[in-house]
Amino acid sequence: MSGNKSIDKIRTVSASTFDRLVLKGEGPIVVEFMSYGCAHCGVIEPDLQQVAAIVETTEKIFRVNIAVDRELADLYQIQGTPTLIMFLNGEVVGREEGPSPDVSNILAVVRQPYEP
Amino acid sequence: MQTKEQSPPILLFNDECGVCRSIARWVKNQVPSGSGTTSIVVRPIGQDPEELRALNQGLNIWDAYATIHLLMPDGSMKLGGEAVAEVLRNLPSTRWFTWTFEISVFGIRPFQATLNLAYAILADVRPVFGCESCGTPSPWVRPIRWIVKWAGSLFGGIHHPSPIRHFSSLPGRGRPPQTLHI
Repeated sequence: MSGNKSIDKIRTVSASTFDRLVLKGEGPIVVEFMSYGCAHCGVIEPDLQQVAAIVETTEKIFRVNIAVDRELADLYQIQGTPTLIMFLNGEVVGREEGPSPDVSNILAVVRQPYEP
Repeated sequence: MQTKEQSPPILLFNDECGVCRSIARWVKNQVPSGSGTTSIVVRPIGQDPEELRALNQGLNIWDAYATIHLLMPDGSMKLGGEAVAEVLRNLPSTRWFTWTFEISVFGIRPFQATLNLAYAILADVRPVFGCESCGTPSPWVRPIRWIVKWAGSLFGGIHHPSPIRHFSSLPGRGRPPQTLHI
């Protein structure tokens, strides 16, 4: 997991910052619901970091640690991790559960809901 | 510096994994108490990457969850089977046989190699015992998992305590992209 040791391109949001950073945030915002103990989340992490670097001028990617912020997981009916939820102006516009760990796939997942 | 040398090794365990919790509990029970000092500290990995980095600058939380880590007082880290061997060396009840891990035959340490293999097998079979967050079972483990699930269904099902179900069927790298829908 060498990709995990580089600069973290994904900022963690908590229940206290979710409203300000995600729901009231401007432009496309992707939130990964994850936990550090989830092996699948660890598998997609390097790819997600790459995607975050690729889309950083157009989209923001945040993470919610469901082991810490369970109420957010309940609110968005998270059935497992990792789950990506795409927001635009506070509205959910897309959702992907267990994305395939592949940069091009994740890139397509986080871009598709915002395409005209 | 002297204080650092006297501090005990720290064993990090995955608190989301039942197998890991059981092993950690066993280690804790083996550590003698009452003397004011301890031979080993057992603590969950937790959820704070910065807190872990404070323990050791080179420690990455993802890596900590992927493999057992033992943080040594000198700042080094032992991983996997080497960590297990060091833990056993630090426990009074198991210390007596740990000299075997040092036996070397033509540059190979057979007992340590066996321990490494045993650790790798244990790490692989964790999903069978209900650790959904431990990832997709390796191909060799899948038949065992099916048998355990089948047996579980015969006897009323196996209880998974975590209310959040992790995606255990996430396809591995190199396979065609696939979307999971629940």
